[in-house]
Amino acid sequence: MEVAVEKRRELSDFRRDINRERRRLFVRRFFSNKLTVTGSVIILLTLLVTLLGPLLSSYTPYEMVVTSRLKAPSADHLFGTDNLGRDLFARVVYGARASMGVGLSVAIITSVLGMIIGLYSAYYKVLDHVLMRICDGLMAFPAILLAIALMAALGTKIDNVIIALAAVFTPYVARVVRSAALVVREQTYIEAMKAQGASSMRIIWGHIAPNTLSPLIVYSTFIFADAIIIEAGLSFLGVGVPAPDPSWGNILFDGKLVIFNAWWMTFFPGVAIILSVLGLNLFGDGLRDLLDPHTNHAKK
Amino acid sequence: MKSYILKRILSLIPVLLIVSIVVFMIIHLTPGDPAAVILGPEASHEDVKQLQEELGLNDPVYQQYFHWVEGVFQGNLGDSFFMDKPVTEAILEHLGPTISLAILSQITAILIALPLGIMAARKRGTATDQTFMGLSLLGISIPHFLFGLFLIIILAINLRWLPVAGYKPLSAGFWEHIKYLIMPAIALGTGQAALIARMTRSSMVETLNLNFIKTARSKGLHERKVIYKHTLRNAFIPILTVIGQTFGTLVAGAAVTETVFNIPGIGQLIINSVERRDYMVIQGTVLMVTLTYVLINLLVDLLYGVIDPRVRLKKES
Amino acid sequence: MGDHLLEVNNLKTHFRTERGKVTAVDGISFHVDRGEVLAIVGESGCGKSVTAQSILRLFEEKGVTSYDGEINFEGKNLLKISDSEMRKIRGNDISMIFQDPLSSLNPVFTIGDQIMEPIMLHQKLSKKEAYERAIEMLKLIGIPAPEQRVHEYPHQISGGMRQRVMIAIALACQPKLLIADEPTTALDVTIQSQILELIDSLRQKLDMGIMLITHDLGVVAQHCTRVAVMYLGEVVEEGDVESLFENPLHPYTQGLISSIPQLFGNRNKKLSIIKGMVPSLNEIPKGCRFAPRCPFADAKCMNEKPELETLDHNKRIKCWHHQTIKGAVSNAT
Repeated sequence: MEVAVEKRRELSDFRRDINRERRRLFVRRFFSNKLTVTGSVIILLTLLVTLLGPLLSSYTPYEMVVTSRLKAPSADHLFGTDNLGRDLFARVVYGARASMGVGLSVAIITSVLGMIIGLYSAYYKVLDHVLMRICDGLMAFPAILLAIALMAALGTKIDNVIIALAAVFTPYVARVVRSAALVVREQTYIEAMKAQGASSMRIIWGHIAPNTLSPLIVYSTFIFADAIIIEAGLSFLGVGVPAPDPSWGNILFDGKLVIFNAWWMTFFPGVAIILSVLGLNLFGDGLRDLLDPHTNHAKK
Repeated sequence: MKSYILKRILSLIPVLLIVSIVVFMIIHLTPGDPAAVILGPEASHEDVKQLQEELGLNDPVYQQYFHWVEGVFQGNLGDSFFMDKPVTEAILEHLGPTISLAILSQITAILIALPLGIMAARKRGTATDQTFMGLSLLGISIPHFLFGLFLIIILAINLRWLPVAGYKPLSAGFWEHIKYLIMPAIALGTGQAALIARMTRSSMVETLNLNFIKTARSKGLHERKVIYKHTLRNAFIPILTVIGQTFGTLVAGAAVTETVFNIPGIGQLIINSVERRDYMVIQGTVLMVTLTYVLINLLVDLLYGVIDPRVRLKKES
Repeated sequence: MGDHLLEVNNLKTHFRTERGKVTAVDGISFHVDRGEVLAIVGESGCGKSVTAQSILRLFEEKGVTSYDGEINFEGKNLLKISDSEMRKIRGNDISMIFQDPLSSLNPVFTIGDQIMEPIMLHQKLSKKEAYERAIEMLKLIGIPAPEQRVHEYPHQISGGMRQRVMIAIALACQPKLLIADEPTTALDVTIQSQILELIDSLRQKLDMGIMLITHDLGVVAQHCTRVAVMYLGEVVEEGDVESLFENPLHPYTQGLISSIPQLFGNRNKKLSIIKGMVPSLNEIPKGCRFAPRCPFADAKCMNEKPELETLDHNKRIKCWHHQTIKGAVSNAT
């Protein structure tokens, strides 16, 4: 009796040690990769700017000063002013809310929907055929084109940008989750659980779902990045976030009209897009190498 | 090979079904009555009624769908309300610039990507490899329209090397034609190059670790031949897949880039039609571009058989 | 000295890895003569394959691999010659066949193309002449209907056929030395002996030297003239096949031999096994490398490195106690 308890304690200690060791190794490897760390720092800074935006600027992004239109960057206006005399720094900082907000919302929504669709198609064969054909059909559209078409149908509004992008990207996420789930589903222990009468709910969410998390997290980082790019594209085309609310894309739209005399209107929002997307891609790349060193190193 | 082709073509049927439904639904997803939306707020009640009749909007939705699909099979994509001509005609008028741009971008992308990817694979793990892969990540992270805007500021406005925007057809002379397309092609091609280069590198690295590469070296072949004959040919299927996919996205990505450079292509047609609420044109162009994309990917799949005898000879042996 | 076909002196192959420099082959020496078959035996991970591939300098990743010592082939030190000279030797004077014939053949080229490649490269024959040579080679290695086979791809033929094709590729330019790295491990037992018979008959026909890498002592006993036993990157014993089997001196060799199941003789005798596992190259023992697993090891073995001693009858041994062990074993049996 004593011995059994002792044994069990040893075993749980051992398990805890292993887990701690694993976490330590993960953290160490994470920080040993300079690119991943750079990526995380960039993302954290961008998120910080997004949240603290109003505190950083003494101007509001909407206040038009007719006398100070198209002023070049100076101490007064750090990034200069736009064609309507609005402070560009304030607009870029507030624009982060729209751009990062859309990106993050799309990443979260597609993860949830993609996970549900992916898990259930992996588990139920008939459902799989139907859902995957629909996914194939949606994936047959080039992403930006489907986004434009959906925006044309839904109307330009920031909520609709999120809906359109979620519709565009969910099939890709569902595919990733499904293929990870299929691997688990084929394992013998899942068959054994079924034979023992475990509910499908418990098998799907208790045993299959956790195994799809790491590819899902990596993939949603890339979706986050791609959503920022496509939102910028839509807003740049005038079918995304509508004026006067700033987003990096629609600042570029304004900037294009005055590209001959106001380079800063293109440069600053442009750099904001590149930095945030690069940060996410670096982070995602590093995370993938950490979580699954065997995957292809090309993106997607 | 025959059964492989047949299987691949049959698998397109559900895809095309979904595509057609989604495209058809564009007009029906709009909040409110499509006819009223098309005509705008100032339109009279009679006009709206008449347009509803013309578009067949009073029929049940499934009938409208079959009617529309029937038209598509006969090459009839409907009429542009705004331009007052058939959608097919409008598409044909805008096709030239987009094709030129897509081909030029693809050539740019491949010319950049393959050498860099192969070089990175040969020097894997070295500083060269890391630099190239860092650059490619940057390339993926810059939206091509943004890159286009930067190119305009630098090459056209500051250095005055190239025209800022616009388009001259091939009939205006080859150089004139190309001059206007250089920046758009670089802008559009670079991002695709980054994707292709990454796939080239990873596929080459994977193949270089296979045993038959050792055999090739042990025969006394020059490393050049080992790389370009034995490795590349085997590594080419994933590379080709990405090239096919990027070519498809090029056609769509051209939509945004064309706006940057004022090129009167398909992209501009779509964007203008979105602004004008010219739904027939939106449906028609989205359908055509997507079909092109699907067909290019089909073509790529069929090319697998040419490259890899294991695909070609599967059923016969 | 210089009359051996291949003479390896104190060869070391180092790899630079994430965890520092690793020496996979650590100062080995042996030789191969024309017409003889030298077996290199050892457990997996002992450096057999690295030795084989080092001879052809197949690890060319600059900055990752480095070699020390000498590999003299017909008087030339292969570690000193230029890359282009090395390429002229590969596939022409020295050829190699590998363990898994399917993965060793390029899946996208026909068998004919792959046999013709070294012929056209080294013998400067035209495509047509090379094609005829390829057919001849296929006939030589006993492939039926060679005119059809040349146009087929590796995945269309059987495993045994594939290894025959590998042999045809290797022998296409009539090399003086053939390195066969576990050529039969991936094949069915019945095919194994066919392939080995084939290699043996071709050796006699072409008068080549063969370096046969294997872990199968049965194969060694049947087909080889001399044996070098490797353990953890070193040669621990070398000698003629008969003397090695009848009178193994190194405890490791003894262990290997007594772990072969005997078909005849005393079936009740328990198979002996060698205790423990091969240590990794990062944690090489200080003294004799085999000491931690050796039943005869004492303090000296643990702390001092033995040298390879040359005894009479071409026998070489690396063990502090080979004389006492010899007595101990013969008394026991």
